Parts: sequence; structure tokens; C-alpha cells
Amino acid sequence: MPKYSYPIMLLTLRMFLITHTIHVIAKMENQNHIEGNSIFAYADERLFSKEAIFKCLYWYGDHFHTTVNINDGYYQLQLTTAQEISREELKLFLQKLERDLIDFNLRDMVSKETQNVRDLLIAKAFSNGELDEDPPGEISDPVGFSVYENKG
Amino acid sequence: MIFRAKGIPTGVNDLIVGVITRNPDHHGESLIWVGDEFNYGSYIAHLSCQSIEASIVPTIANIQALDHLSDGDIVSIGQDGIVRTVYRVNSFYNTILATERCNSNCLMCSQPPKDRNDIPYLFELYRRVIPLIPKDCLELTISGGEPTLMGEYFFELLELITRELPKTDIHILTNGRTFAWNHFAERLAQIGNPRMMLGIPVYADYYQVHDYIVQARGAFDQTILGLHNLARYGIRLEIRVVLHQQSIPRLSRLARYIFKNLPFAEHVTFMGLEYTGYTPHNIEKLWIDPYDYNKELTEAVEFLAGQGMHVSIYNAQLCVMPERLWGYARKSISDWKNDYLPACQACSKLHDCGGLFTWNLKKCSAHIQPVFEDVNLLTS
Amino acid sequence: METLSPRTNRKFKDIGYYAEQQSNYFLLPFRFHRLNDDKEVLVNEVGDHLVVPLGTAGRIIQRQLSIEEDADLYGDLVAGFFIAEQEVPALIDVLATRYRTKKSFLDQFTSLHLFVITLRCEHTCHYCQVSRVTTNKDEFDMRYEHINKGIELMLQSPSDYLTMEFQGGEALLAFDKIVYAIERTKPLAAKLEKQVTYVICTNLAVLDEDILAYCKTNNVLLSTSLDGPGFIHNQNRRRPGNNSYELTIKGIELARKWLGTGNLSALMTTTNLSLDHPTEIVDEYFQQGFRSIFLRPVSPYGFALKNEKKNKYEIERFINFYKKALHHILDYNKRGEFFREEYATIILKKILTPFPVGYVDLNSPAGAITNVILFNYDGAVYASDESRMLAESGDFTFRLGHLDTDTYGDIFYGEKAQALSEVMVNETLPGCSECAFQSYCGADPVHNHATQGSVWGYRPTSTFCQKNMELIRYLIELMDGDPQTRQIFEGWISQRRAS
Ligand code: SF4
Ligand code: SF4
Repeated sequence: MPKYSYPIMLLTLRMFLITHTIHVIAKMENQNHIEGNSIFAYADERLFSKEAIFKCLYWYGDHFHTTVNINDGYYQLQLTTAQEISREELKLFLQKLERDLIDFNLRDMVSKETQNVRDLLIAKAFSNGELDEDPPGEISDPVGFSVYENKG
Repeated sequence: MIFRAKGIPTGVNDLIVGVITRNPDHHGESLIWVGDEFNYGSYIAHLSCQSIEASIVPTIANIQALDHLSDGDIVSIGQDGIVRTVYRVNSFYNTILATERCNSNCLMCSQPPKDRNDIPYLFELYRRVIPLIPKDCLELTISGGEPTLMGEYFFELLELITRELPKTDIHILTNGRTFAWNHFAERLAQIGNPRMMLGIPVYADYYQVHDYIVQARGAFDQTILGLHNLARYGIRLEIRVVLHQQSIPRLSRLARYIFKNLPFAEHVTFMGLEYTGYTPHNIEKLWIDPYDYNKELTEAVEFLAGQGMHVSIYNAQLCVMPERLWGYARKSISDWKNDYLPACQACSKLHDCGGLFTWNLKKCSAHIQPVFEDVNLLTS
Repeated sequence: METLSPRTNRKFKDIGYYAEQQSNYFLLPFRFHRLNDDKEVLVNEVGDHLVVPLGTAGRIIQRQLSIEEDADLYGDLVAGFFIAEQEVPALIDVLATRYRTKKSFLDQFTSLHLFVITLRCEHTCHYCQVSRVTTNKDEFDMRYEHINKGIELMLQSPSDYLTMEFQGGEALLAFDKIVYAIERTKPLAAKLEKQVTYVICTNLAVLDEDILAYCKTNNVLLSTSLDGPGFIHNQNRRRPGNNSYELTIKGIELARKWLGTGNLSALMTTTNLSLDHPTEIVDEYFQQGFRSIFLRPVSPYGFALKNEKKNKYEIERFINFYKKALHHILDYNKRGEFFREEYATIILKKILTPFPVGYVDLNSPAGAITNVILFNYDGAVYASDESRMLAESGDFTFRLGHLDTDTYGDIFYGEKAQALSEVMVNETLPGCSECAFQSYCGADPVHNHATQGSVWGYRPTSTFCQKNMELIRYLIELMDGDPQTRQIFEGWISQRRAS
């Protein structure tokens, strides 16, 4: 097995970027903010997956009309209240949104990264042992033993 | 207990296996006569404490003492003049030592392995012993070393026992690693003996800790896979946990791991440390006064028992553990390894308590003290 | 790889030698959910959970864990199947077996069969939309040919253990038909080597000793309704004389005398009035000798259907009610009594045991059809009790067929059943697919349809989701916060206490 497989390299890079996400989002021109009845939030396209953005926004549909655009490498999220919501409450929603964006992005990373092993797991679960792996590690004692040999 | 006697051999050209008798009316192809004088009859050997001039059967003479042998015991006699007790008719604890080879090297091994191929010899020995064992023998333990290193001989041995002793419970102590290979478990299942149960140790829920304790890389994964393969064939399983400094910290996690991942186990046993074999050498890494792990042990035992699993505590003294655990404690130590401290003589629980291994008399909990019944009654 | 190469010597090595980790670890599928301001919970693919400090999921995913500095956590994660040190974990076959075990309630295809033996009732409960006070047996009792056909279908179920439950109206008003059905089933089931458990749901008002004698000889279980102390129960369950409570209590005593405590259970229905009296209801159950209570969620039919705002408010009230009641129950346990709450027990079994847990409202794939089927008094077949309630209000979405015209195949594998099965797996539902509580929760297309007008449902406003997400979170938080509570919960799920 190689020391670093390709997706891991990619991930490590992404990780690094993500830890700096808050900072990136906070750049002047793309600063998350509240304007009237709307929340505006921005997420770097290189760091956030489309799936994460939509899965996150799904949970805001009960209170807001939501729109997403891509502009200049950023997802632009606009959440407009469906009913009257106080500014204080909107602030809390924004705070929650920022947190949720990161969480949903993390979730999306797990689900993409583990897709293969999950598929394998389910295939195995509904197979009859024909997909079983060879066990790991060695089994012999110093004298010498093999599970495939007949007599000890 | 003496398991070995030595004398001067005459006419012993081969391994002899037979049953002890002192009854002059008993004769038979598999009997070994014990007595100062030879008793004419069809015996396969003669054992004596005296010197014997001439003899018509293989003889071991000038043996220091033979009192340890009862009529009905099975012994082996070698060309070296050593008489080994292989089966004791008056004991509940008879063990077949399948091999001294082992693929693990546990820090607390009570019978350290030897890197010498004793398997062909031991297989031949037991091939001859097993048919001689009384048919009403209640239980036989097969231990090692690691018995499965016998390979196909292991299964042949079990087939022989199944055939010869259909009413005997067979308790096999194995590390279970070989059963990670499914064909090995399948082969065992073919024997189809419902009296067979495997005792397999699991010392932690996390591989690194378990592998360290058994001193073998990959052992944990192999053992867990082995347990699952065995379970898929419905083979009866016991999980054995030895309690010491390395296993205690994750004990409560281990209990939960067992319930979740190995719920098919028929029995879970928690065992006190034996002060013999490798243990004295590794005592710094292993010792913890059993009194000091009562909290962890209680949690683990009560969790598993609460979920309906059958749980036992072996090699432990009642006075050291909280009273709520007494119901789980078993008198598990084989008769000849079992002893008590002088203080125990005053104890009201002497007859319920499992006591100690003889070799643990010198290394035991500092909290052993006689239990007095109904102190309140006496004072009121 | 299995090899022949012998170890070189038997010198003891230290623990570091036994770490597999070469470079970095691999993730296994897991989900996470915030518990409170300090903690979050990780849940793996087979439903094992681990409570960790907030932010841990992020650290795990971003490969910020160190095997040395986070040794205990790292061990927990590997042991708990959250991460692995090989791309395909060494114990993947064990994990697969556990996955199959967890889902194996699928093997026990449709074991619960509800027979609405009559629609007649002598009560006029205000929340009940279906029953009728009438003596017209011809119109409102199940006909013999429908009973026969229902039994025939029931016995075609591949499941070896079947439950045949008689409901009403007030089922005992048609006791003759119940006896007919049981007597007909007995020899047929015996021939097929199926075990059938018989249950009668009754308010006990018309119970008499003849009925009990029959129940005793035939091991028939009784399930009654007790909504709380008299002032709640009688308010909920109207009948002439306003004495439903008194009749129920008398019935409970009588039934216990004949059948013993274990063969009588009680269910409560939560109403608006109940929501203000959690402790009184719990005390009533305890005083009446019950050692378990099922704080059933308000059914969607008590809701103003499709009014999201009002529903949200109602479900919040229910959640508060539930928490207060649960605390009160826990207090009994802390005083040494065994007394358990059934809804929590179902969820806790899913959280804490490796076994499959079948409960109609909480399974994924959803309980409807895969666990339960209902034969209505008029011969119509429905996916669940809720489905027939919907039908009574004119919505026949979950009517799967009719005993007069349809075969087993038509009903269980028909178009409607197929369409339903698509939305029965919460793994694929929007919102649920990423949810950490997926394996503790379920999918409830009937509820979704009734409250939201779509079988897919919309999680952000789903009362089903609000209730489960909060209750599951709360149960985990309680266990994590207090070892004694954890022990009590572990006692509730114990396999040792069957029933
Ligand atoms: S004093 Fe001795 S006999 Fe009594 S409980 Fe302790 S160890 Fe057992
Ligand atoms: S209904 Fe809600 S709590 Fe249940 S799995 Fe779906 S999202 Fe999670």
C-alpha cells in the first residue's frame, strides 16, 4: 500500500484550506452579512462542494426563500425570510448557517471519501461470505505453521 | 501434585501407554501392573519401587514413590524411565496438552511456549490415551501452547474424542487466530460435536493493546475474525479475559465491545492473574492489586450480565471483591493447583471461596482477610 | 497474507511496536450531530455511537488526530469502527455481519396482522374519528368470509412468528367473531408450524369472566387503554355515565386476577389535556401496578393536518411533556424501582444493542407493510392503522387492496406497495441521508403524507423529525451526563427482562 494515496493528498490540501475558511469568507467584498430581510453568505467554490451547500440550505427552507449563485469563485447564498423575523434572530440564523456550512461540508467529505468502503460493506452484508477477505497478519509460530498445510 | 516419576527402565523400546492397576485379578492388554512383585498376567508394563532382577515385560524399577498413582490413572512410559501421568481418574480437571508450541507469546503466559516440534509425538501419545479414558469422563480440557498448530492432527484428535467419548464435554483453550481462515472453522464445524466449546481470550477492544498483551501483531484482528467464523457455524464460544494492569484500563469498553460485536458468546469469564510462567518476569507491567480493579470489574460484569450474557469470575477470592460479585465467582482452580492462606482457616466463606493458585500464595491481594458471618448477630 | 516465516525470538516488545499505523488513517462511514454546546456524537454505519468534545469530527476528518496525544480517543475510534488503518479495514467482514444483523428485521416480513373486527364501540372518544355507536352488526362487523381470507393471507407470510391483533371500535363487542377467528387459525397455524400470538385491544368496559376464561385457556393477551388518572381518562374517553376510568381500573383488576400481571398491557393516548399532566400520568401507571408506560407521541391525526406552525408548537409541547414524564420515571428508578418508558426503550435498543429492533413507526425501511398489515372491518387492506384512519377521512392513498378481489401478491407486491417501498428507506430521504440519527430513527411515509401532503416529507417542518431528532439527542445527552441514568437505561434494554 502506498504511503499516501492520491485522494489523501488532495484531502490534506483541502483540510488545510478549510481550517482557513472562516478567514477566507471574511474577506471584505464577500463578507457574510444581513441586509433587510435577507442573510447573505459566501462560500469559496474550491473549498465547499455543491452538495454540501444544498444539503445545508435544505434545512433553512422552513424559514427562508433561498437562492444560490456562483460568482467569482464564490457561492453566493441569499436567504430571505418568509415571515417577519427580528434582526437578533437573523443574526443567530447567520451564525448557525456558518456553522452548518462547515458541518455539511465535513459530512460531504466523509460520504465521498467513504463511498467505496460503504458500498463494499453493504455488498458484503448481503453476500454469503464469497466476498470475505483473506485475514491479515502472520499466523505461524517460530517452528513454522501454515493453515493450508495438512499436518502440524 | 506429582505428575512425573522416574526409575530404571528395562526392556522399554517404545512409548508405552496404559492404565494403572494394583488389583491382581485385573488383567488386560492395556493394563500396567504396579507392585513390588510382578503379578503374572497379561500386562504391558510393570512399575516398581524395588529393584527388579529379570522381567518378562517392560519394567521401570527403583521408582522413589508411586503413591500418586491411583488405579485407573493413565500413564505414559518412555525409554528414559520417566512415568508421566496423563489422565487422573479421580480428578475433574484433566487436560490434554496438545503442544507446547504457540504463535503468541502472552506477557502473562502461565505455560511459556517452546519452539520445538512436539506435535507428532504428542499426537501419537493421545491417539493411544483417548481410547483408554473412562467413557463417563465428564470433561476434558485441550490446551497448549496453541492446540490448533497441530493442523489436521487437531481435527483428528477431536474426531477421536468425539467417537470414543461421546458423553464428555470438551473445552478447548485456543487463541482462535487460525479460525480467521474460514476453512479452518468450517473443518472444525464438520466434527459436529455439540459438547465442544472453545475458550478464546480477548484482552481489549483495541487491537494495539490486545496485540501487545499477546505479543503478536495482527492477533486481535485474527481472533475477532476467528470468533465470527466460528459463530457462523454455531460453534459454542467462551470469551476469556485475564485481569491485569494492561487489560484493566479498557475493561469497561471491552465489555461493551463484546456485547456489540460478539453477542453470540455463550460465556464470558474474567480471570485473576496467575503468578507463574512469564508473569513473575513481567510482573512490573502486569501487577495491580485485584482490590484496586473492583470498580472496573463490577461495571464490566454487571453490564454483560445485565444484557443477559452468562458471566463468571475465575481465580478470585471472595473477600477481595464486593459482595454483589460473589454470585459470579466460581471455584475454578484445578484441585492440585488450589490452596488457601493460613488466614483463610478462620473464614466463614472458606467452602464457597475459590481460594488461590498455589503459586499465587506469594503474590496476592493485600486485602485478603477472613469474612465473618453475621457480625451483627454476634454483637447484638 | 498468511506466511510461513517464523518469528525470530521470544523477546518481549513494548506497546509501540504493535501500532499498525504507517502514515495516516482512513475514514469509515460515520455521521455526527451536535449534542449541546460542549459535545457532539458520532454514529457509525452499524449504529454504534461515541460522545466526544465538540469539534472532534472536524479534527478526525481533517486528519488532525495523533495516535500518541489522542491515544484513548484514537483507540476508541479504531475499536468503534469510525476510522481504520487500512483502506479496507481488517474487520470489514465483522462490520458487514453486524450490518446484516441490524437490518435483519427485514427477514421477519410482516409479522403483525391487525384485524379490525368491528367498528362498533360504546365509547365516544373525542379524538376517535372512526368508531360508531350502533348495534348494526351486519354493516360494522367484519364478515366471516373476510376473516377467513385475512387468516389465509396472514398465514402466507414467510415469518414464523405472527401476531394477530384484534382491534375495534371495541373489539370485545364482537367477541364471538374473535373466538371464531382464533379457533380457525389454531389448526391452520399448527399445520404450518407457525407460532401465533393473539392480542385483543380493548377498553375493558364490557369484559366479563367468560371472556377471561377463554383468554386464559388460549393465552390471549389483552391490551387496554389508560390515559392517566380519572380526570384525564374520563375527559378523553367519553361514554354514557362518564365512568370509563372506573370501568378500566375494575377491568384491569379483574383481568390481572385471571391472566396475571404480565399478560395485560396498557397504552396511553396523548391529548391536549395530557400534555399538562406528565407526572400525574406517570404516577397513575405506577400506582396501577404497571412497570412500563408508553408515552406515545401525539399521532398526526391529532394535529391540525398540514398546518405547519401549529404543528410545530404542538410537537414542542409534546417534547416538553415527554421530558418531564421521563424525568419522573427516572426518579422512580433512582429510588430502586424498575419502571420503564417504552418509546425510549425502543430508541435505546437501537442505540445500545447490536440487534434489530422492530417498531412500526421507527424503522427504516418503514414499518408499514414490512412489519404490519391491517384488514379493515369492511375487507379493505391498509398499510397500517394510520392508513385506515386516513381512509376514514376520505384519503385512500395507503389502501393496498381488498380481501374480496386481491391476492397476496397483489397486496404485498402491488403497485402501491412498490411505490411506498421507494420512500421507506430513510438512507435516501433528503435531510435524513446525512443525519446522524438515521439508524435510530425511521421513515414514516404515512405520517409525511398525512401532515405534509407528500410521502417523501419535508424534514425541516416535519413533526416526526422534530420529535425524533430531539428525543434521540436528549436520550444520548442524558446517558452521557449521568452514569446512573446510563445504567438505568441499560437495564431497560436488557434482554434478561423479556416483555
Ligand atoms: S479469607 Fe480466604 S477463604 Fe475467605 S474469602 Fe478470603 S481468600 Fe477466600
Ligand atoms: S427524520 Fe429527522 S431525525 Fe429522523 S433520520 Fe430523518 S433527519 Fe434524522
